[in-house]
Amino acid sequence: MKRPLRLRLVLRDLGAGAAFGAMAVSGQLPVWVLAVFLLALVLALCDVRLVARHARLSALLLLIAAVLLGLRMTSGAMNAVVVACAFAGLISAQRLLSTPDNASDGQTHLTGLLMVAGGAALSGDMTYALCLIAFGVLASLSLALGVVEAAVPDGEPVPVRAVLLPLSGGVTFAVAGAIAFFVLFPRLNWSMVGPRSSPGFGAASSAGFSNTVRLGGAGTIKSNPRVVLRATLTPDPGRDALDAYWVGRTYDTFDGQEWTNVVGAQRTERQITLRPASDTLLHQRVELLPAYGGRTLVALESPSRLGNAVALTQSGTRASTVQLHGGGEVRFSITAPAYTYEAYSLPPDAKAGAASGLLSEERDQLLALPEHLDPRVAQLAASVLNGEREPLAAARKLVNHLQRAYAYTLDQGGTSEDPLADFLFVRKAGHCEHFATALTVLLRTQGISARLATGFFGGTRMDGGYLVRAGDAHAWTHVFVPGRGFVTVDATPPSHRTSQGFVLLEKLLAFYEAVEGRWRDSVVDYSFRDQFELASKLVRPPRRPAEGPSTPSRLPPARAWVTAAVVAFLVWRVGRLVARWPRRAVRLEATRFLDRVDALLARAHVPRHEGESLEELTPRLAREGHPLALALTPLTRRYLEARFGGRELREGEAEHLLKTLGRALEAEAARQAVKPAEQAGPTARAS
Amino acid sequence: MTQPARALGPAPSPASARAVMERLAAQLGRAVQGKPVEVQRVVTCMVAGGHLLLEDMPGVGKTTLAEALARACALSFSRIQFTADLLPADILGAQVFHAQTATFSFRPGPLFRQLVLADELNRAPPRTQSALLEGMAQGQVSLDGETHPLPSPFTVVATQNPVDFSGTYPLPDSQLDRFLVRLSLGHPAPDVEARLLTTRGAASPLASVEAVTGPEELASLRDFAAEVKLDASVADYVVRLARATREHGDLERGASTRAVLALGSAARAQALWEGRDFVTPGDVRAMLVPCWAHRVLLRSAVQGVSARDEAAHLVEELSRKVAAPR
Repeated sequence: MKRPLRLRLVLRDLGAGAAFGAMAVSGQLPVWVLAVFLLALVLALCDVRLVARHARLSALLLLIAAVLLGLRMTSGAMNAVVVACAFAGLISAQRLLSTPDNASDGQTHLTGLLMVAGGAALSGDMTYALCLIAFGVLASLSLALGVVEAAVPDGEPVPVRAVLLPLSGGVTFAVAGAIAFFVLFPRLNWSMVGPRSSPGFGAASSAGFSNTVRLGGAGTIKSNPRVVLRATLTPDPGRDALDAYWVGRTYDTFDGQEWTNVVGAQRTERQITLRPASDTLLHQRVELLPAYGGRTLVALESPSRLGNAVALTQSGTRASTVQLHGGGEVRFSITAPAYTYEAYSLPPDAKAGAASGLLSEERDQLLALPEHLDPRVAQLAASVLNGEREPLAAARKLVNHLQRAYAYTLDQGGTSEDPLADFLFVRKAGHCEHFATALTVLLRTQGISARLATGFFGGTRMDGGYLVRAGDAHAWTHVFVPGRGFVTVDATPPSHRTSQGFVLLEKLLAFYEAVEGRWRDSVVDYSFRDQFELASKLVRPPRRPAEGPSTPSRLPPARAWVTAAVVAFLVWRVGRLVARWPRRAVRLEATRFLDRVDALLARAHVPRHEGESLEELTPRLAREGHPLALALTPLTRRYLEARFGGRELREGEAEHLLKTLGRALEAEAARQAVKPAEQAGPTARAS
Repeated sequence: MTQPARALGPAPSPASARAVMERLAAQLGRAVQGKPVEVQRVVTCMVAGGHLLLEDMPGVGKTTLAEALARACALSFSRIQFTADLLPADILGAQVFHAQTATFSFRPGPLFRQLVLADELNRAPPRTQSALLEGMAQGQVSLDGETHPLPSPFTVVATQNPVDFSGTYPLPDSQLDRFLVRLSLGHPAPDVEARLLTTRGAASPLASVEAVTGPEELASLRDFAAEVKLDASVADYVVRLARATREHGDLERGASTRAVLALGSAARAQALWEGRDFVTPGDVRAMLVPCWAHRVLLRSAVQGVSARDEAAHLVEELSRKVAAPR
């Protein structure tokens, strides 16, 4: 057996890798499957075919893996689709490492197909599409090279270079065709097939809002650069970095370890339609992106009204009702990958605010302290405040102390019985939740009402709007000021409030998010209804005023005709271009010259038989004594020499010859004009 | 007969070649009047180094033409009248026993001339006809295990009567394929016939034919013609024409590879008429019917004049259908 072509195997293995990537981007495959496949891929790319000698052993291992996965599925720990995908990945890994023969090639490509199908069930975003295209291209190239390789006799080299160029052209054509098919073909909704994750690199799990905040529970999100929210503000603040608080919900009860809400509300609001409000309010148009992963509406502090809520589901946009939960949280009542809504907020520095009409039970709750609060907390507060009773001044004093004496860290330091005391007196370092909790509890010990607020801080400018990242998730304190309402006070050191990710990574991701946004708008969310609307818009007859005397035309409007004409013209041009392609290559200077001569003769209506070449025309005219023969003879001779005799036309020679011919044609035309006049003269007089 | 010492010159040019060919044509025109095109074809065939098949009624000047050609080129000439009882040895020659020395010696037949007129070739049985084959193809004759080279240049001008087929043996295809060009002279125009009647009294028309070239010059002319450039696009044109004949529904058999080569060399010689050292599609088209009409085989079993005309018509039609290179 001849040695297989190395390039073909590399393409095949990379294609399988791309197919596996189509599943892996969903982030739902078990880590060990990822590890096994990656190892197999690296080994295969290094041309190490481990399984070639241990086929039985690998089959046994596969069987064990199948049993394990089956057990996980029956126990409910794994979804059936994920199990199937994981197993396809393992089979592919085993095939990659086996002897590269016809059978294993075919099976590798087949498992590749299975894996991209599995990937479609798990994920449907842009990264998946890129993997799919990569798989299509790589596998096609590998298959085509395989055909060529099989056709080349043993011992002869495969003409890779000669083959790859037309092959790449063909594959490009196929990919373009597939994209056109994707755009034009009616869409099916695949979301019922399997559990669909949020797109990209898995869900930004900790960005959502839960009913509780456990101290030290979510520290790593500060470095997550995924964009969760996109907003346009009116009036536009025009700043590059927005130092504003996006509040999601608040918590009023702290039990020493976690924050919850006692005073709750659970009612469903009808859809509110927002109309332009007064100029003092800040209008926001917010888009919650799939990476957000939650249903809670977020708005700039302090939100006064939320409305026009729309859920962007797989089958199109849908107006959604919202539910009011405890802690002032507003949630969408339906689950969708993305949402849009509008909100009006009081500007951050507004003096006039919400009324101080707090319920008595709510006011009590804002002063409640954990049962087993460390007595040192109250002592600390008293010593720092030193008799200060005014809520805002007291809060500022405490903030100064906290920011001066405590360090910011994302290190969780393990679970603790009393995380607050641990932060204040032992570690003296923590993250935003520690700072906010400390400030809130310290204020409460001194009889000042306060609560914990969670949401996001900041926003970076992009495309005239603002992006908020998962890493911008933040916690701060609301201090209740009688007569003014809740005022935001943030104890976290200012430099640590926003996302802590790498700037370059953030920029790259911002770009990715922007592209992905476009992708989702124009591809994933481009539904059958959108297609239908586009088509019907095109052919819908123009609207006529109702009072018009004429009956409305049922014919499509002018733009439909124009579009059809443009499409037809393009198709015709492309068809002609393709038809001429091979001929154009051999088009010679002399032939172009002949074309111009032919065109001149045709314009001058020189009598010519059908299909008569210049070589035949010239001697015929000479035999007939035609005056043009004199001009044509040297020209024809020169053309023939240039075309068939290998004596090319010199620069400018063609122009010179054509000019001479042009003059001869003009003279002949003049002669022809005179002749009938001479003949017509007597006849005219006679009549 | 005078032997002209003219040569094409140390560096033959298309113009000098054309001059020789025109001189030849002028001499032939003296013997065969009123047939300039046919005469030109004969000279073309001669320069291309091919054999000529004249197919015509008796008495239109076939023999005269052949004899005039031999005279004008100063070639040794013999005329063989093919009859039903003609044997190969009558053409090729025979081993003759010498009683005095008790040895055999070869006595060459009439084929051993530079220009041989095979009159009414189709009257001889196939065996005799095929005796010509080797000589036409290889310029030599094998007899009793010995090969005897024929004189150079060696050209056969054969005639056959297309009408009277009784007692004839149609030429085998292999034989037909060896003739570069087939021509028919046809009856002369009435005015020419009238002139012949008035002037052709005493002297034979051959008497006025002079030798204007010789075997050496003819040989170098042939060499020069073989050097005429044939562009790849023209070669492709010839091949496409051949393929068209092979794929034609009315043709049993299309042009052979030998026919393709023959058309090439005929077109090369034709190019010299225009003083060119390269072949144009026009040259190919000019020689297409004379070169190929006798080589293709019609599906319908007609013979004679109508078949000949139909084949010529078909081939001509193809030349219009197959696009010439531009």
